[in-house]
Amino acid sequence: MSPRVGIISVAHMHALSYANALNTLGVGVAGVYDTDAARGAEMAERFGTRFFDELDTLLAEGLDAVIVCSENAKHRVHVEAAAGRVPHILCEKPIATTVEDAQAMIDVCKAAGSKLQIAFPVRFAPPVQRLKDLLKSGTLGRLISAKCTNHGRMPGGWFIDKEKAGGGAVIDHTVHVMDVLRWALGTEVTEVYAEVGHGLLHDTEIDDAGMLSFSLENGMYGTLDTSWSRPENYAIWGDVTLEILGERGLVRVDAFKQTLTLTSAPAHKTEWVGWGSDADLGLVQDFLEMIQTGREPSITGEDGLKALEVALAAYRSADIQKPVSLRTQEAA
Amino acid sequence: MRRVGIIGAGLIGSWHAARWQNLPVEFVGFYDHTPENAERAAQEFGVSTFNSLDALLTNVDLVDVCTPTSAHKEGVLAAAAAGKAVVCEKPIARHLKDAEEMIAACETAGVPLFIAHVVRFFPQYAKAKALQDTGELGRPGVLRTVRAGSFPRPDPDTWYNSFEEGGGVVMDLSIHDLDFARWLFGDVERVFARGLTFADESMRDHSLITLRFKNGAIGHIEGSWASPPGQFRTALEIAGEGTLLEWDSSDPSPFTVQVDAAKTGDEKIPGADNPLAEADDPYYLELKHVLESLDADEPFLISPHDGLMALKLSLAAIESIKTGQPVAVEGFTEEVTA
Repeated sequence: MSPRVGIISVAHMHALSYANALNTLGVGVAGVYDTDAARGAEMAERFGTRFFDELDTLLAEGLDAVIVCSENAKHRVHVEAAAGRVPHILCEKPIATTVEDAQAMIDVCKAAGSKLQIAFPVRFAPPVQRLKDLLKSGTLGRLISAKCTNHGRMPGGWFIDKEKAGGGAVIDHTVHVMDVLRWALGTEVTEVYAEVGHGLLHDTEIDDAGMLSFSLENGMYGTLDTSWSRPENYAIWGDVTLEILGERGLVRVDAFKQTLTLTSAPAHKTEWVGWGSDADLGLVQDFLEMIQTGREPSITGEDGLKALEVALAAYRSADIQKPVSLRTQEAA
Repeated sequence: MRRVGIIGAGLIGSWHAARWQNLPVEFVGFYDHTPENAERAAQEFGVSTFNSLDALLTNVDLVDVCTPTSAHKEGVLAAAAAGKAVVCEKPIARHLKDAEEMIAACETAGVPLFIAHVVRFFPQYAKAKALQDTGELGRPGVLRTVRAGSFPRPDPDTWYNSFEEGGGVVMDLSIHDLDFARWLFGDVERVFARGLTFADESMRDHSLITLRFKNGAIGHIEGSWASPPGQFRTALEIAGEGTLLEWDSSDPSPFTVQVDAAKTGDEKIPGADNPLAEADDPYYLELKHVLESLDADEPFLISPHDGLMALKLSLAAIESIKTGQPVAVEGFTEEVTA
């Protein structure tokens, strides 16, 4: 029997993509809860499922899993509510807005016996999986640096509300790339320096541009541009690129650059229309496989926490204008 | 579970075999005119070999014909006579009369016939077609395609090098884009082409085909076995009224590796790649489509007539190269010199 999966809040637009994936995989959506009744009800109707205006009622449905797509700062309260009542929880990134919240989420899930997975879909983009294979093969020899970008458009809404999002472009985009690097290289970030721009590109007070420079435990160094530097009429939402330099070669990944270029005079724009494999689908498939096989999550709460720590260290570095060091796993 | 067997244990045969093994069928094995080929492939995939076409046919429910073009007819007619569903690699046949005979035999026997024009299952081409169908591309105007590489085999002793057996680059390679063009813009009024097909060149062929569609649109199809060795290139450009859709495999790829070969000692590192999830692989999708259509008793995305028309377009282009004149597709008949 296919698992029953509910959605807690559709504040983050990825909820739509995950729900589509659940449909594609023949699982469907077992119910939607949201604090915004109009938004939640619309989503529920779209997926032919029930809207719940009380979280408690949704959780009483005896679900096999929930996907938490609320505003970042609400992840903790929603995961805490689900822990122990729902055995599998997929939480949108970043895991939380503070280390304390993230740790509490990990702890409560562990204590209650619920499995917590963090949604890092970039791992499931085939070009990124190919990168991991190449790095593992040792072909590039000693690895030197990682030059990365995760650009985007200015998302607006609660994404630019510090209380709800925990920050702007830096927290939004750092976690994706740091997760991919940690996963593909099997190493940790040891130090971060960052220049962060507030309202550099848009009429906003929150950080909308960020340039991180980091060092890794394996001896590599690297940079990451997290800026919301893609104008609204840019050809695509943004990018995730990773350029890894080794002593024997160079690999460049542009994870979502499998596109057709569509120019339309009536629409006054040129658009890059994707045709590559759907990374969100890969993520949801992996989550369902965990439920069906009973294995551990492929992306753990600790992975979410580690990526968050780098983003928070970047903000701190920008504040004090000095590199910030991160404690290593082994030291703990 | 359906039992599937492959006739022709060459390159395409092993590509298909790898996909059949990931699909819900029992892939039983190979038959090949050259028993050593079947042996080698059977060993690679851990399946059986059959020492005759009949032996294979009695042990399968579906036959996948992956032989050289000129042998498609034999495999398909045998499958039809045995009442087995058939997948036939493109082109449907070497000659129009053969294709007509194959289609008629399958119809009479009530046997489903799928012509494997796999380009329709490549995600970028499928996406282009979907955009056309949903009206996001303007009224069809100008189509351009490229399919260009070096000669597909290292030595001249291959059917690819024989116009009589394979029809050269127009019939073997450009037929992919001719089928796609017809799928996208509809039937073709006339064809004009120039190329090397009759230039008596060994291990080299090239052609530039010009199309006029019945809906008024025009098109250009390049097919090449004359590029310098290295990367195979495909490109697609669809201009409509007020719209332009572009794709080129030589654009920066999502995955590019440069290595210092002197230091790695490894020449086999791919330079650039367009990786896809296994479930999005075009050959997998194509064969999965065959199974799903058979299960649902629905027509295939590619009808036998589509296969016939793609062949007819390639023959019309070849005729034009030969005569230097435009060739009308309707009423076109192939003169076969015995």
